[in-house]
Amino acid sequence: MNLPSFLLRRLLHMVPTLLGVMLLVFILFNWVGGDPAYILAGKISDPAQIANIRLQLGVDRPYWVQFWIFVKQVCSFDFGRSWSTGERVSDILLTRVGPTLTIMVPVLLLETLLAVLFAVLVAYVRGSLTDRLVMIACTVAMSISFLVYIIVFQWLFGFKLGWFPVQGWTESFATNLTRYAPLPILLAVLVGLAPSLRLYRSFVLDEMNHDYVRTARAKGMSEHRVMLKHVLRNAAIPILTNLGIALPGLFVGSFLLEVFFSIPGLGREVVESVNRSDFPVIKAITVYLAILTMLINLLVDVLYRWVDPRVTFK
Amino acid sequence: MRASVTTLRFFAAAIAVVLVLATPHDTAPQAATQLKVLRTSQRTAETGFDPQRISDVYSNDICAEIFDTALDYDYLARPARLVPNLLTEVPVAEQHGLVYTFKFKRDVYFTEDPAFKGVRRELTAADQIYALKRMMDPAVSSPNIWLIEGRITGLDALAAQAKKNGRFDYEADVAGLQLLDRYTLRITLTKPDFNFLYIFTMPTTTPLAREVMEFYKDDTMGHPVGTGPFKLGQWVRRSKIVLERNPTYRHETLDTTHADLNDEWDREVVQGIAGRPLPLLDRIEIYPIEAEQPYFLAFMNGEHDLTQELPSTYVSQVLPEGRLAPGLARQGVRAYRELQAEVTYDAFNMDDPVVGGYDPQRVALRRAMVLGYNRDQEITVIRRNTPLAAQSPVPPGVVGYDPGFTAADQDYDPARAQALLDLYGYVDRDGDGYRERPDGSPLTIEYKNSSGGLASVMLAQLWQKSMKAIGIRMKMTSLQFADLIRDQKVGKFQMTGAAWLADYPDAQNFLQLLYGPNKGASNNSRFDLPQFNALYEQAMAIPDSPERNALYREMNRHVLAYAPWRLGVTRSWVHVMRPWVKGYKKHPMYHARYKYLDIDVAAQEAARR
Repeated sequence: MNLPSFLLRRLLHMVPTLLGVMLLVFILFNWVGGDPAYILAGKISDPAQIANIRLQLGVDRPYWVQFWIFVKQVCSFDFGRSWSTGERVSDILLTRVGPTLTIMVPVLLLETLLAVLFAVLVAYVRGSLTDRLVMIACTVAMSISFLVYIIVFQWLFGFKLGWFPVQGWTESFATNLTRYAPLPILLAVLVGLAPSLRLYRSFVLDEMNHDYVRTARAKGMSEHRVMLKHVLRNAAIPILTNLGIALPGLFVGSFLLEVFFSIPGLGREVVESVNRSDFPVIKAITVYLAILTMLINLLVDVLYRWVDPRVTFK
Repeated sequence: MRASVTTLRFFAAAIAVVLVLATPHDTAPQAATQLKVLRTSQRTAETGFDPQRISDVYSNDICAEIFDTALDYDYLARPARLVPNLLTEVPVAEQHGLVYTFKFKRDVYFTEDPAFKGVRRELTAADQIYALKRMMDPAVSSPNIWLIEGRITGLDALAAQAKKNGRFDYEADVAGLQLLDRYTLRITLTKPDFNFLYIFTMPTTTPLAREVMEFYKDDTMGHPVGTGPFKLGQWVRRSKIVLERNPTYRHETLDTTHADLNDEWDREVVQGIAGRPLPLLDRIEIYPIEAEQPYFLAFMNGEHDLTQELPSTYVSQVLPEGRLAPGLARQGVRAYRELQAEVTYDAFNMDDPVVGGYDPQRVALRRAMVLGYNRDQEITVIRRNTPLAAQSPVPPGVVGYDPGFTAADQDYDPARAQALLDLYGYVDRDGDGYRERPDGSPLTIEYKNSSGGLASVMLAQLWQKSMKAIGIRMKMTSLQFADLIRDQKVGKFQMTGAAWLADYPDAQNFLQLLYGPNKGASNNSRFDLPQFNALYEQAMAIPDSPERNALYREMNRHVLAYAPWRLGVTRSWVHVMRPWVKGYKKHPMYHARYKYLDIDVAAQEAARR
């Protein structure tokens, strides 16, 4: 199958998947989600006020009508306004995604770069003291909760040593990247490095045991070339798969980092919206995330072909 | 060997990357100019600044600085005392609390805004009428509607009409809102109410310019335009709120009539700001920080000048053994301790067939549970010794609070609790360690709490543990906050925890939580005792007086006798500030009144250098 046909087929497959996601979100919100009217009603409310708020929000309408409105919102990419703040949902997403990406893109890049580098290195010296020490360090690092890292690092680097601000965010991208983002980035990279390194090491080791590596060495190819040109290239496919899975997470960020460092990102918005039963925001974020996940998966599939020409589109 | 060297090189490179990331940064904010800038924080994010659509405390705080209210509280008087703000005088109750006449000051102007199309806009009495009508507009869905619903003659009928028509008629005359002239408004109530004026200290009743609300009708939350001491300078939602001095603010100075010069905070306020035109600050930067550690560390680090409501986890670090920590004292940090005008309580559902009811057997069960609950442990362990045990539904600091009234019947006494249960037939018949009901059926009490907070879960667990000790089986059900409120409103619970923070400083604001007709609205316990209701109605019809206080006392006695609540605590807060913050005195009804604060810029600059 050629690329255009493959893309078209995959895009068509996305429609029922998206419909399934929408149905699931809708059912979950109406089944287990709290009634937003009781939150919006304030300290004192009577049944008449609750009924009026439900009327204003449209949650008193039949389920099928509400779901049809949801479908129209997805088709028009207009999710209306937040029930709790009155802000346009599109504005919420546009203003919150920037801070999230300011943190998460450097995290992903650095983490991947360092994890691949260290993975190749420790795999190459497999069984050595270095390998064992790195693996022990990874296991220990993975055993500690992310929250503990945040609390300790914030206290140590932000307060005790004063190297970074404890928290904060501005409207300037440069200030954020150089002043407020480094500590959360450093934290996320250090925490994310251990599991990625272990995983990528196993991918590299798996490739190193193949016959083509022995053949390459027998032909007198340099170790440098064997590792980087052959082993790493073949290990890139599972690494790419792993990255593909992690990529949508970039857009929702890390709730803990955003809360502890006062970063006005999407992660914080998601949790706050769930707490406030702010369905328009929940709907929009879920739908966009589902679309993004499907598109990234498609992109990863296309990239497989680029990394390994033996892969064919089916 | 060669591989090891290569490995080391790679490690060195990686460490270099990490070190570059960790390059020291100057943590102090950008060098301040000579502007007086106060940096502070709030514990949760704001929702917006439409005073009639919001109900959260922190958004209200901001609105209180941007909008002016008809009345205000004297900054220094304790107990709280009403003073005129936009009015020329505090209205006097006419016709025995049925009529109030509001005389607005002249030459009070809204801040400039495109909605005014370049014309200077004066505030008039009609703006107050518009605001009251807007609160009742079903399309606005104001969470504060309860403050005026059923109170102003003719206003509810207009709202009912709007529900039918789908449109609120702002042009319609309302009998209870009579405009006598451009600056005078007469409000007629449906029944006498001597606490009515308190609601005019709240931002939600602030007079509004109708043209602004219509100009920004799609985003009134984001365009606050008032006549207050500050205006919204910048707003990065959930991240930063900047208030700037309103250059057109009317001439106002601090009234020091009620200052207590024996109080060091009062003395400093009087010496620092008396006679000076308000506000004194040029700019206030407010940062919402939800996590406790950064909230605390941002102050300790010098990033913030003032931090209110220090999380209880950190109080012992700031005030070990009740005294300011030596390190902080050396820096000149000051701490202000405040007992909040609030009460926490656990409500029994009085309509529940097991724990509710007014017959001796069920009253005995509730009283035994009250006696069996280890509130001392709640205070010392869960709340870290910061609160005061509540003695009545009315906390200290509000009019009608009786310091001589104690609730010995609510003191922890498990032996008495067990004796009471035995006496009324709640005994363990099957030997499983738990008591059964007098008719032999199983006795299990469900406690519903919010799944959102650790303290809420810990309190529910303490209840379980305390009840187990006296042989009562208790089941804990954690719900989402919205679901918990719903269940409380519709009476779908046996026991639940709650707290009430004063809306205005009068005992009535707390006792209304137990008034029968408020069932399903504010009366979560669904307590409906005719004697209590009659006393409440009598108290509502008379002004503050010893006679009214006697009624309040009697109502408190009924609450202890029938035990619809297990009284909890009155929480206290610690507020900390840097030495250059001047004019601070915490008012029981506000989080902060920024218009009275000042900054010693020289001291602030010196410390930052």
